[in-house]
Amino acid sequence: MRKHLLALGVTLTLSPGLMAQKIGVINSMSGPEAPIGENITNGIKLAEEDLKKKGFNLQLVWEDDTGKPQISMSAMEKLATRDNVAGVVGPYTSACSNAVAKLAEKYRVPLLIPAAAKEEITRQGLKHVFRMNAPADKYASSLIDAALSLGKPKTIAFVYENTDFGTSTSKTAKDYVATKGLQVVADVSYAKGSADYRSNLAQIKSKNPDLVFMVSYVADAILLMRQSKEVGLQPQAFLGAGAGFTTTEFAKEKAISEAVVSCTQWTDDVSWPGAKDFGQRYKAKFGKEPTYHAACAYASMVIMAETAKNAGGDRAKTRDGLKAGKWNGIMGEVKFADYDGFTNQNNHQMLVQQILSGNYETILPAQFATKKALYPFPKWK
Amino acid sequence: MAVFMQSLISGILIGGVYALIGIGLTLIFGVMRVINFAHGDILMVGMYLTYIIFTMLGIDPFVSVLITFPLMFLFGGFLQKVFINRVLNALAQNQILLTIGLGLIMSNTVMLIFTSDYKILTTTYSSSTIQVGGGVSVSTPLLISFLITSAITAALYWFLLKTDTGQAIRATAQDRDAAQLMGINVKRMSIIAFGLGSALAGTAGALISPTYYIFPQVGGVFTLKAFVITVLGGMGSVVGATLGGILIGITESLGAVYISSGWKDVIVFVLFLLVLLFKPSGLMGKSRT
Repeated sequence: MRKHLLALGVTLTLSPGLMAQKIGVINSMSGPEAPIGENITNGIKLAEEDLKKKGFNLQLVWEDDTGKPQISMSAMEKLATRDNVAGVVGPYTSACSNAVAKLAEKYRVPLLIPAAAKEEITRQGLKHVFRMNAPADKYASSLIDAALSLGKPKTIAFVYENTDFGTSTSKTAKDYVATKGLQVVADVSYAKGSADYRSNLAQIKSKNPDLVFMVSYVADAILLMRQSKEVGLQPQAFLGAGAGFTTTEFAKEKAISEAVVSCTQWTDDVSWPGAKDFGQRYKAKFGKEPTYHAACAYASMVIMAETAKNAGGDRAKTRDGLKAGKWNGIMGEVKFADYDGFTNQNNHQMLVQQILSGNYETILPAQFATKKALYPFPKWK
Repeated sequence: MAVFMQSLISGILIGGVYALIGIGLTLIFGVMRVINFAHGDILMVGMYLTYIIFTMLGIDPFVSVLITFPLMFLFGGFLQKVFINRVLNALAQNQILLTIGLGLIMSNTVMLIFTSDYKILTTTYSSSTIQVGGGVSVSTPLLISFLITSAITAALYWFLLKTDTGQAIRATAQDRDAAQLMGINVKRMSIIAFGLGSALAGTAGALISPTYYIFPQVGGVFTLKAFVITVLGGMGSVVGATLGGILIGITESLGAVYISSGWKDVIVFVLFLLVLLFKPSGLMGKSRT
């Protein structure tokens, strides 16, 4: 009897389908990035639910990095050595992801980063690091291309926070505008959390730029736009790169957010398979509109879990599976390719959107557009 | 020129609020010789109080100062009587640990209740401005908060200089033992001073909430700022804190334009070090031996 049980035990642990897939999650669940981290948490929870319905024996190990790279790194060490996970999804911010990426390579743990923008992360030839979202250069190029197709701007001003995300996004944007013949008339970085950006905005106003390109997280985006209105900064378009300009909180501030152009990785009205359904179920479950972070996290978790299951929880096989695989889901077609110096980077199609009557409407590319763009930026009331 | 004037005016207006935060801290230090590291967190409590009053009762943030001020006074008095009073004669590091601990409890309790989401107060005048001329505009809410700050500061000066209680507080600040020998109830003065300090911090929180954003960890930034202002002006000097606050506001604002916004904290700290180097007791401080 005992022998039989033992044999049964051995078969149970050996057959890949029955064994629990242990997958690690690193995310900013508390701390200053928590409001965005929450979307990633929710996206992953919804993925977990869907996968369990499909019969996956999934076991997630959650780690909170509080938005700090050093905590993120120790979380990765724990997941790699103590918990023995098959792969890791996360972390959120660029700074954390970049720190964790090198550790993932060291421990040979497949890491799938859902929504960090810094290009560098997948440009270091790291074999075990994969990224779902389009990196910072896409934010910049899609926004600037949109502005160039809508009007004839000649000058541009940059305002960005002096973090990894802000400097890397604006640096690639500056490189990009140089190739398009736009002249940079102001270049302002700021320390986030200041109460007062008026003096900088007044300085930018004095240069009278055609475009204002901003890179900020949630709260500063609202503050920057409020104070732009205060000082009467009036360009042809405000271009908001990611994060802070793509939240429902921002759109709700109608007095200052109307007609601001931003770009996003995902919306729920895009025609990618399952996107609409995901949006509805997310709203029903969490009572909020999903952000692109949620969609990226959902797709990342589904892909990681499926690949890890097929690989029987083996890290090397999971890595190979991610590298070789091709998926089509709520994020459109996903493939981790090597191009333009990137390694294992999903060449994702960005969507350009504009806030019109308090809602995000896709304006470009044309096949996904829901409304016609409003250009130039209307006079401040 | 317009850029310079704009920066100068924004700097003075924001400096007024900084001054209010600094005065609270310096008052507490003057009377009790305790550096209150929970000062920013008390300010944060004031912000959330304003937020609740605004969203639940619909009372304008500037009007709600009338409610916030007394409530924060009671809160400060309570903190002093129950916690701070016990460490008045303890080692400085124990006092610091206690206030830091209290601050952590406050910020984490608020995080449990409200989550770490950023809250933004949107009033009808949140983004409205007044044109001063010459291309310079002033934010209406910032201007109102500056006027309220000035009124409160003036009232505070009057209170400290003219009333019996105010004089008793100053006497306690000058020499605690001598004050006690003269029949001043120094324990009561400590409670009043801490209450006032908290009320000022809470009010500052209320005043900046229409133009800033609110989250549980917001206190850290302001604790550091208040500390710099207080030391810059001279520990325990109310006039010094007023000057220090405005000076820091202007430095930040001008530094952001003429050097770099990302470096504005560095500029403030360099100024801080220079003052300490040439006048170690601070701008208005008397050196104590």
